[in-house]
Amino acid sequence: MKRTRKPGITRRSTLALMGAGAASLAAPWVARAQAKTIKIGMPTILSGRVAQLGTSSRNAVMLEVEKVNAAGGLAGRQIEMVIRDSKGQPQEAARIARELVNTDGCEMLLDGEASSGSFAVHEVARDLGVLCIHTCSEASSLTADPKQHIPNAFRCVRQGIHDSIVGAGYAAGIAKAKGLKKWATCSPDYAYGRDTTGEFVLYLKKFAPDVEIISESWPKLFQPDYTEVVTKILQAKPQALYSCLWGGDLTSYIDQANIYAMFTQMEVFAVNMADYTALTVVKNLPKGIHSGDRYIKTFPPTPENAAWGDAYKAKYNEYPTNWSWQNATAVMFLNEAVKKANSTDGKKVAEALTGLTIKCPFGADGTVTMRADDHTLVGYAIGWGTTIPQEPYVPDVKAGDWKTIFELEAEWKKSKGYT
Amino acid sequence: MTELQAGQSAQPLEVPRIDARPQRYRDVLIAFAAFAVLALLPMLFGSKQLLDFVIRCAAYGLFATSLNLLVGYTGLISFGHGMFFGLGAYGFGLMMQKTGVPIPVAFVGTLAMTLVVAVVIGAICVRLKEIYFAFVTLAFQMLIHSTILSWQSLTGGDQGLRGGIPRPPFLGIDLSNHLHLYIASCALLVIGLLLMRQIAQSPFGYTLRMIRDNATRASFIGIDVWRAKLTIFVLAALFAATGGMIMALFVSGAYPEFAYWTISGEGIFINMLGGVTTFLGPMVGAMLFLILNDTVTRLTEYHGIVLGIVILFFAIGLRKGLMDFVVEWFAQRRGAAGERAP
Repeated sequence: MKRTRKPGITRRSTLALMGAGAASLAAPWVARAQAKTIKIGMPTILSGRVAQLGTSSRNAVMLEVEKVNAAGGLAGRQIEMVIRDSKGQPQEAARIARELVNTDGCEMLLDGEASSGSFAVHEVARDLGVLCIHTCSEASSLTADPKQHIPNAFRCVRQGIHDSIVGAGYAAGIAKAKGLKKWATCSPDYAYGRDTTGEFVLYLKKFAPDVEIISESWPKLFQPDYTEVVTKILQAKPQALYSCLWGGDLTSYIDQANIYAMFTQMEVFAVNMADYTALTVVKNLPKGIHSGDRYIKTFPPTPENAAWGDAYKAKYNEYPTNWSWQNATAVMFLNEAVKKANSTDGKKVAEALTGLTIKCPFGADGTVTMRADDHTLVGYAIGWGTTIPQEPYVPDVKAGDWKTIFELEAEWKKSKGYT
Repeated sequence: MTELQAGQSAQPLEVPRIDARPQRYRDVLIAFAAFAVLALLPMLFGSKQLLDFVIRCAAYGLFATSLNLLVGYTGLISFGHGMFFGLGAYGFGLMMQKTGVPIPVAFVGTLAMTLVVAVVIGAICVRLKEIYFAFVTLAFQMLIHSTILSWQSLTGGDQGLRGGIPRPPFLGIDLSNHLHLYIASCALLVIGLLLMRQIAQSPFGYTLRMIRDNATRASFIGIDVWRAKLTIFVLAALFAATGGMIMALFVSGAYPEFAYWTISGEGIFINMLGGVTTFLGPMVGAMLFLILNDTVTRLTEYHGIVLGIVILFFAIGLRKGLMDFVVEWFAQRRGAAGERAP
């Protein structure tokens, strides 16, 4: 049957016209909704030797941002993360941070840089006055030194001094129990290695005064061959060894020291061992290495922490890193601070962040706090335990005592002239 | 008649003399024009990113052009030129943080310190040739880098000079103001390039070319090759340090990476990109390098692969830097037009 076209406006045309009219009327609302998006910039290390850590930071941030967006965003504004690779170079980190704010319109910064990059981004935050949360640098002076303090910058990261106090307390207990008096140290030859080792030894001697350091080794950063260092330590015949080697350096060192059966001849304390990046890479993980927690889904031993670790693994097919939980916590803080301030204005969010306590899977008591006087993270789960060669790798972590940490940290700050 | 007698009776050879003054004036005029254009940019474009780009171009441009004084003009391939970039940044930052002197005094003081270090290091390095020179400069660079890392109480070690660089205003210039910093960086860039151009075009500059082409011959005609090489080594160090000072002001700090071998590698890469036979080649290379870096880093994490392909294109495809290629292409066109002309 042949269909004839009726004169005048058809029903379909009418609907189309109505649709077009509605769309044009709605256009300003759509545009406004898009403008409501809040951009957060993140310079981090996505290439080079520590790219894995930068990638794990990005993963963790995206995991949390998706949750915040699904719940309606920050004060009703969907978060758009703008994440750029700084290649671990401070000048690039500074350049990217400026560009993210000045050109890309980011209203806040999550600084996913290692120490040197963080100090560069900190100066950009000082210059531009933008809200900035450092999420990776453990250098204590970033927030402990009052000269560094700016009202718009915070640090959501564990601290070297906290690690040293808890580690030395744990090590002193074992030293006393097993009579470990002769100690050796083996740490990377740069500021982090020397600072952390110095602080560990300081507190170890404070807790166990009869300890003596009989050998010190300072291998170069990214040194490929540790034979010379291992043999030097073996010749000194210490009863215990402390090391703050990390990442590829630590795993290479352990693989090479295994050949000399070093781990059967002394107690080893390696602060950076208990992170999945190190635990899963070592070919034959020795049993009984003492280590501080970095990220372990069994510490704190709570369902929330385990669930977060499993969710990360399910999404990215690998376990998170130490940088992951710190970055995730930063997003959690932002979310809560915006709720408290009922605004996304940087100044108001900064005021809300100051002294804020939030529920968090990584808290020692289920909460963490952004300490008001120095804008740094406290109350996170921190402890030491011993390794086994398979999951859960560090089955029994002994938690550090935050009361002791606060007391000794205050003394340390005084000795450094910070207070 | 012997040749000697014939020579005595002959008229003295007329050596054509080039009056360098018109060229010098032309260079000064070009420099003024370039500075005027750069100074107008903030009024034409409101982009802070553009200003940041020009500031970084000033730092890298001075560094790369000074490296070309060694590589392109003298044939001294330095793998350690970045040490002076780092020294400039650290010297300036430390003086501003520790002494509180006015900025011009810190600027001159940093140049003086760089001069002393460059004389000592250069006196040893320029005795060597080719790959030996390259390696010994690299060794000194690693020495300086290790010193920065180890001397933590002074330099801050791997965390760099922290706490920002104080910038007290002087003569109405406030370098904590972004626009003032931009204008100051442009001024330093233009003055630096003009001075390097004068060095390159001076009789001393031509002496350097002769040393590059045939050092033995230069020595035979009475040129003190060692002194000439040392002089250009020190001068190049001073310009590289100026670049380092601009970078320190840009990031408001100084970091060991500024004195690491990778900075020297970037300098060589910039020269390869831009070209070593034209004076402005390294400047063009610096701009290309930063554009490539900024855009590729924005688009992909695999920027190493992209930059590698670009190097391959320049090394295998063009077999020269961009400015070398353009200048040669124009010369060929002019030559072809000359042949066609009646």
